[in-house]
Amino acid sequence: MDARSVPSLVDADDRTLAGRAADGDVRAFEALVRRYGPLMRAYATRVLGSNDETDDVVQESFITAWQQLSTLSDPGVVKSWLMRIVSRKSIDRIRARKLHVDIDDHEQEAPTEATPPRVAEARSREQALSRALEAMPAEQRQCWILKEIAEYSYDDIARELDLPTSTVRGLLARARKNLIREMEAWR
Amino acid sequence: MTDDLELEGFEPADLDGHTIEQLSDYLAAGRQPFDPSIESSPGCQIALAAMVRLRSVSLSLLESEAVDEPARDDSWVAGILNSIGLEAQAGRSIPIQHPSGRASLSLTEGAVRGLVRAAGDSVTGVLIGRCTLQGDVTVPGSPITVLVDASVFWGEPIPTAAAKVREAIYAELLRHTELNIVAIDVTVHDVHLSRSLGEPSTEEIE
Repeated sequence: MDARSVPSLVDADDRTLAGRAADGDVRAFEALVRRYGPLMRAYATRVLGSNDETDDVVQESFITAWQQLSTLSDPGVVKSWLMRIVSRKSIDRIRARKLHVDIDDHEQEAPTEATPPRVAEARSREQALSRALEAMPAEQRQCWILKEIAEYSYDDIARELDLPTSTVRGLLARARKNLIREMEAWR
Repeated sequence: MTDDLELEGFEPADLDGHTIEQLSDYLAAGRQPFDPSIESSPGCQIALAAMVRLRSVSLSLLESEAVDEPARDDSWVAGILNSIGLEAQAGRSIPIQHPSGRASLSLTEGAVRGLVRAAGDSVTGVLIGRCTLQGDVTVPGSPITVLVDASVFWGEPIPTAAAKVREAIYAELLRHTELNIVAIDVTVHDVHLSRSLGEPSTEEIE
């Protein structure tokens, strides 16, 4: 095949890829897996607090996506749709874990690694946030990520995590203060 | 970390009576409706700015982590592709006549969409997206309209490309199916390496 005459799927826009995948084109679906798999993994790892189950969660998310792609009315929004799926799958894991003793809820010592050489300001800020998130109790972290990154409402978070809305509000208030304190200290 | 930590500069006394939670909701609502008691409070402005910074760092953190993800070996991708059920997108069953009345042949809608896709992709600079067969394909002779989404690359003239796509799809369906195609509508939704000409193309046979 002449590379010039057949545009590569790797460079295709989301709407094209999602539309083809919805019609059963496995190669287009593969391009979506490669394009958004890493972001979904990063997200799931943050929500779950470790990467032990990340592979499984992201894999399950893509299987669900494949099955339901044809119901996506606007293939152009496939990225946020995928993030919604991986949110849901991650929460399912958290719920399953709750049946066991949640050792994550114990206070954790923030890693005390030396300040990295100043690579880039933005990068250091990200690292500061990363450490602050890792140091937070699991429920605070989960609430905060669902609220601020996945843009869930208080009621949605309460429903998903099986917590009273008032508890979610309290957890978020503490999470917010913790993170602002860490980030402002960094400034 | 204590549960009831006091955060200097971020307590109601510093925020002219507002709480961080109120400010967060205000921010989430796009600072609407305009609240003069928040917007005119220096303490609130400082807190809002801190929250905006936090938000933007959070989003960039995930994007950076995604970039830093160790490249997944192909087996990870293959594992996913092997787990998806290929029959999920088979769609309706499209009958094909056979000289023997005892034989019953059919094509799946998914296979026909595959033909449409391949035909459209064969046109230089065109990549087909979603394809829809409108009409009752399960009844021989029903009028069928084919809708395809396409992106056009390399600065190809859109009307010409759309006409070629239509011809290629029509020829392919005529060759392999008995569908009664009454129209093929091509919607060009994206143009790459060219000025953005996103409007749907119009009929123009070259």
